[in-house]
Amino acid sequence: MKFPSSLPPLRLALAASGFAAAVLVTSIVANPKPPVPALNNGAEYVGEAICIACHQPQNTQFTHTLHANVFRLNPKNEQEKISCEACHGPGSNHLKDPVSPSNRSSLVGFTREWGTPVALQTAMCQSCHAGAGQTFWDGSVHATNNLSCSDCHNPMAKLSSGGLLKKPSINETCYTCHQQQRAEFAKRSHMPLLEGKMTCVDCHNPHGSTTKGMLKADSINETCYSCHAEKRGPYLWEHAPVRDNCLSCHNPHGSNHDKLLNVARPFLCQQCHGNAQGHQSTLFNAGGAIGGGGAPSTRIFGRSCQNCHSQVHGSNHPGGARLQR
Amino acid sequence: MITISRTLLQLAALGSVGAVLPAAASPYADSAAGVGTSLGNTMTASATAARPRDAEWMKLKHTPTGQLFPLPFAMPKADEIRKMASGWEYSGQLEFGVIGGDADERSAQYRTYSDPDNGALLNNFTLTLKRPAGGHYLELQGGAAGRNDQYYGLEFGRYNDWKVKLFHSETPHVFTNRYKSLWNGVGTGNLTLVPGLTAGGTASTAADHAAVAAAAAANSGAELSLTRERTGIRLDLSLTRAWKAYVGYALEKRVGARPIGVVWGNAGGTAPMDIPEPVDYETEDIMAGLLHADGLNVFNLRLSASIFRNNISTVTFEEPYRIAPPAGVTTTPATGAYTQGRMDLAPSNQAYNARAEYTRRFPEFYKSSLTAVVSAGTWRQDDSLIPYTTIPNVALANVTLLPGGGWDTTGSLSRRTADQTIDTRLADLTFAINPTSALNLKAKARFHETKNASDPFLAVNPNAVYLDADATTAGPQTRGLTLDGVTGVWGRILNDGSGQNILLGTNATPTGNIPVRSNIYSSKQSRFGPTADYRLDPKTNLNFAYERENIERTRRERAKTWEDRTKIGFVSRALQDATVRASYEFATRRGSAYTASTYDPAAFSSAIFPLPTTAGANVNSWAVRTNNAFRAFDLSDRDQHTMNVRLDTMIRPDLDAGVSFQIKNARHPDAAYGRTQNDQRSLNLDLNYQPSAQRNVYGFYSYQQGRYRQTTIPNANAAVTIGLATPLGTVTPQNAIAIGAAPGGPIFPLVNTWDADSADRNHVAGFGLRQDFGKASLHVDYSYSIGRTRIDYAYTVGGAVNAANAVLAGARMPDLATDIGYLDASLRIPLTKVFSARLIYRHQKETIRDWHYTNVDAAPVVRGANANALPTALPLDGGPQDFTVGWYGVMFQIKL
Repeated sequence: MKFPSSLPPLRLALAASGFAAAVLVTSIVANPKPPVPALNNGAEYVGEAICIACHQPQNTQFTHTLHANVFRLNPKNEQEKISCEACHGPGSNHLKDPVSPSNRSSLVGFTREWGTPVALQTAMCQSCHAGAGQTFWDGSVHATNNLSCSDCHNPMAKLSSGGLLKKPSINETCYTCHQQQRAEFAKRSHMPLLEGKMTCVDCHNPHGSTTKGMLKADSINETCYSCHAEKRGPYLWEHAPVRDNCLSCHNPHGSNHDKLLNVARPFLCQQCHGNAQGHQSTLFNAGGAIGGGGAPSTRIFGRSCQNCHSQVHGSNHPGGARLQR
Repeated sequence: MITISRTLLQLAALGSVGAVLPAAASPYADSAAGVGTSLGNTMTASATAARPRDAEWMKLKHTPTGQLFPLPFAMPKADEIRKMASGWEYSGQLEFGVIGGDADERSAQYRTYSDPDNGALLNNFTLTLKRPAGGHYLELQGGAAGRNDQYYGLEFGRYNDWKVKLFHSETPHVFTNRYKSLWNGVGTGNLTLVPGLTAGGTASTAADHAAVAAAAAANSGAELSLTRERTGIRLDLSLTRAWKAYVGYALEKRVGARPIGVVWGNAGGTAPMDIPEPVDYETEDIMAGLLHADGLNVFNLRLSASIFRNNISTVTFEEPYRIAPPAGVTTTPATGAYTQGRMDLAPSNQAYNARAEYTRRFPEFYKSSLTAVVSAGTWRQDDSLIPYTTIPNVALANVTLLPGGGWDTTGSLSRRTADQTIDTRLADLTFAINPTSALNLKAKARFHETKNASDPFLAVNPNAVYLDADATTAGPQTRGLTLDGVTGVWGRILNDGSGQNILLGTNATPTGNIPVRSNIYSSKQSRFGPTADYRLDPKTNLNFAYERENIERTRRERAKTWEDRTKIGFVSRALQDATVRASYEFATRRGSAYTASTYDPAAFSSAIFPLPTTAGANVNSWAVRTNNAFRAFDLSDRDQHTMNVRLDTMIRPDLDAGVSFQIKNARHPDAAYGRTQNDQRSLNLDLNYQPSAQRNVYGFYSYQQGRYRQTTIPNANAAVTIGLATPLGTVTPQNAIAIGAAPGGPIFPLVNTWDADSADRNHVAGFGLRQDFGKASLHVDYSYSIGRTRIDYAYTVGGAVNAANAVLAGARMPDLATDIGYLDASLRIPLTKVFSARLIYRHQKETIRDWHYTNVDAAPVVRGANANALPTALPLDGGPQDFTVGWYGVMFQIKL
């Protein structure tokens, strides 16, 4: 593997080692312990057998979840061993008065009806689900909008093949709030979400990201390249706005136009190329190509500008300055 | 382990019934990185929806936002779970059957992303095993065995300890089923004309037209498609309570063909035709990571590589028309010798990235935290470059090729390989603090760079000498071209020699707009600003964010842009049965001085040959870059308002509703020409009704509206001569460029101005029903989508459009119209405790009216009135085809 001069392997390795060492030292010096929220008014743990005695239907569902399998079959710490109360908190106060609405603070609940503050719900989930994909939850668009984990997840039942989502699939779960995107995926050109071959999470991290739009990669284009690696180049002859931002021309959620384009060609191209020599800024229907039966222009039908400038993402041909080869 | 091996054998036996490959869920990717989070196909949603629900589940509950939780699926109770003597518990199901009706429809719109043919179908299967003693498990799923949308997944491991995931998934992509191939060798890099057509054409263009039309008719209705196959494996390990690691590998193959335009003909600019571009891609993705979380510290390290290989790097095609050598090209090769061309396809490339994330919490210091991210990557491609043409002996007037400098040899290239590199860097820092229990403050800063570290490619034949007789010097001469230290001929032949674009091309009139080297684009983005989130009461939050974004770009019209974004948001659950979320953002983008010329002048021949100064010299090709009031929309000033409002409400305990709308307005105040306006509107309504465990009804409607407005002035292509009197003054060498680029000048007369207004409108409505009738259950999903795009334009008759053409052109394009209907109905009837039947009916229709393809399918040879002239184009892709299908299926389900 040959790295460019700006990223010599030694320098990179040293930087990575230094970063890791700093993390380790900080971790050791700080002697960290996970914060334990003061839960349920000082209640005590009662054990899951007590819970199941009343909550049999819930247990039937819960038994098939990853949560149950982790808690019951291979717990790694005391919190996981206590199963139900690992998430709901100690239950002794709940036992004293399990039905009164005034006693809702006796347990952490994850439904609207129960009323536990969202911040506390989230803290309970994050007592296990910290770091990794959830590293950037704080400050994310979802967190700012005060979403609870259980707005998307049902930790008590296995409806989805993974992730304990509230709906059978990732896309259905996202559509419950993102109806606008659902409508866009129903348009003429769209990515294969409706067909079950792709999910929102292929591009977005719903748990937060450092990239706008909760994208998983460092930039919009890097997100696109993760599937469209052939567009990555770099090309001998580059097309500047293409290199800058795929969304200059495409709407990834769906479009009335071919190839997820924002606007029909050639009008899309002419929003930048309304200038310079020759043909770029001509009103190409001027000959009545479509409406009046005149001779069609090469630049109006089919792929319009891309009938000739077909390598619009970049050309690696020595004569490809005009993106034709 | 012995037990696991036995189980695997049992699985292998089961898999042999209908599945070719073993495999599990969200295999390679997770929510943080990678793609490939879905295993399923177009049949999955229907099959899933048909699963029986758990009628014993607790009464209806809502998410914290107020949406109904769906009823869970019926799951086996503890005493119903099947067990083996080895201690493994298992459950699973298998669904198979037959599909009949119109499922064989060939329309590209119908077949893209799915493969629902008539015939026998192993629709889906799942198997789950776990051994409580030890916590080991195995999950298998798959479907559509043997079809182009098949998928398989296998996951096994030990809960909370380690797991291995494998998957294979295929996605068909049909680009067209109305292609008329003139070539043999579709799917390869060598396209030869079918019998009846002559490479390089014949002496009679009219005869060539007839031959092409006949060949197109004889080879119509061809499908161009590819299948995307992705296979992967991932291992996740818990090293300690706090440390985890993972490593994954995925291989994706895409094989097939798709239509692509290729221009050909006299001067390199006429007779474009659709050829079948071969696709034979392989992408290997490798990812490894180390994760740490201990309550106070979070550390994530990820290393990734993506290796893309194009196994067919060029496509050579024969062309069926005879062209004469263009001006400036000598008669060698002779007329008729231009028989073929060659395109360079997507180059193989590699990308590497290393990313580290660290968060440190300070609970004792106002519950603050610091998060830092650094990421560095590089993208590289170094494909061997191909010569300018495959045609031998291409010669240009007054250009002497030195030995080894032929345009069909790599000796004509300024370098032999592409040698392109882009480096990326990211640094992101966030500090969060809670001064009070109700207030959260954050400060964010981010830097991202895309740096092209490549040397420009020089469009020069280093083994040629140009004997020049320019406009100002009498007699032959050899121009010493020393730009970047290279001598030779500047510019290149076009499109395999069917045209040429050389500095002093005709040896008579110098030109200043010949591309002589590539542009190197880089950008730096920095973003920073504070946010505040204040809790007004336990159920209501108010948030505020300000952000400044600076972007610096090289070789663009604007060196720097900056955008200020201010956003306020409101979230409240205080309403008894509703949650409201609302936000408004105002953003203003401005920038440094705008140079309308898109490219660096050094990239053009004007850098070598200065603007002529003699009276009467036409300096058009130096003066004309761009209308200087034109603005590229990604760089222009912009004022943008965005408002989002969402209300979720529980109308009744068993009925919830959602209403949301978005308004987004963008104006480009400095863009007199170019995109001037972009608006988006969206309104969405949702209803979800679950009156009982046996019934669920939902409905939705969305309306969307989008609008783009643009204005431009076509280039009048008028001469700009030194000494010319114009409304903007007399042209001099000093003001020629300014006058040439000014709206209202000789090049961009205001009377030529035209504008266009593109308006999208979409309606999407749907409803669904689940109803249990005793043991039987019915599930219905229906949706209908209407899309319309209207494009109006306005112009001055006699300006952009002459009077005769204005009668034809009118004031608008025909509407682009799409109607898509979808109905899926499924009736599941349990026959025994483990055996069920499912009857499926699916109706789909799609109609598309797209003026891009009006009459194209019927007339693939587009030509003018002169039968002996080259065609305007050969649009061999007939475009989208309407379809209406209805098919039924009888499926049988076996529960293990």
